[in-house]
Amino acid sequence: MNDPQQPTLTPLPEWESEAMDILDGVDYDAELGLQMARDAIRVSNGELTDAEFHEKYHEDVLAEFGEDNRPTEPEGFDDG
Amino acid sequence: MTNYGLVIDQERCIGCQACAVSCKQENNVPMGQFWNRVLTEGGDKLDTPAGGYPEDGDDGTLDMHYQPTACQHCENAPCVKVCPVNATYTRDDGIVEIDYDKCIGCRYCMAACPYNARVFNWDEPEHVPEEGTGDVEARPQGVVEKCTFCSHRVDEGLDPACVVNCPADARIFGDLDEETSTVSKYVNNYETDRLLEDRGTDPKTYYIRGEMSPGRPQTSDKLESELDDDAMPGVPAAKSGGDD
Repeated sequence: MNDPQQPTLTPLPEWESEAMDILDGVDYDAELGLQMARDAIRVSNGELTDAEFHEKYHEDVLAEFGEDNRPTEPEGFDDG
Repeated sequence: MTNYGLVIDQERCIGCQACAVSCKQENNVPMGQFWNRVLTEGGDKLDTPAGGYPEDGDDGTLDMHYQPTACQHCENAPCVKVCPVNATYTRDDGIVEIDYDKCIGCRYCMAACPYNARVFNWDEPEHVPEEGTGDVEARPQGVVEKCTFCSHRVDEGLDPACVVNCPADARIFGDLDEETSTVSKYVNNYETDRLLEDRGTDPKTYYIRGEMSPGRPQTSDKLESELDDDAMPGVPAAKSGGDD
């Protein structure tokens, strides 16, 4: 049941290696994806706010994708 | 405001995979992929139970439970938060959906999904028959796809395919914000849990374990909200204490 194409319920300690497998060979920054995935869960848990999450990765997302259209952008956010 | 959710009564689920198959057919899901899976809790493999067969006149210990799993349509969906191009988004009715025209295939959403409910089209999708199945257009190579709660059916006032085709009436779909809906009554009146609640994702799929509910009450493929009261026999006002 370790096929990444199949939904599984992965215990948290094993999640990171599974996420790395998913991002292996991706055309974009895999490490950035891993960090953002980890912190997105922290946002869901309430350990990080949407605004903090958005600000933390805004520059990196812009650099990697040339745009940052995540819905986490706080009102009045200065992306300059 | 409408907030769609799903209740799955695991006491009713018989592990027949009808939900998985009907999902695949309805949504034109490519070969080798599933949006909706019935995982098993038991032995080492998908279709093997734990325990042993009866021997020498003793009772056996065979044991298997079914865990139907697909996108949980989370309220705090990490997949939505990480998508740099806003291809994954939450509709006003709570359904988490993907705009396949926007998806660039970065797979960040897959890494962020704690339920591993998303699949990626690594190759050109293959369909049998070649023209595909169901009422949903095929997705191209290089995009992520997943369960949509059959939003194309919901928009037409119909229940998701997995709900309509469950022979055990174990899947109940409806508006969690409508306190008189069956899903709301079941969530409030039965012992339910949600998957990986410690992640804080606030999933909108609830699982009944313990006492069996009366299951999906309506006899039509329409959404409950589209039915006349007369067409909804057996909708329990409160816990009924058993199967009907």
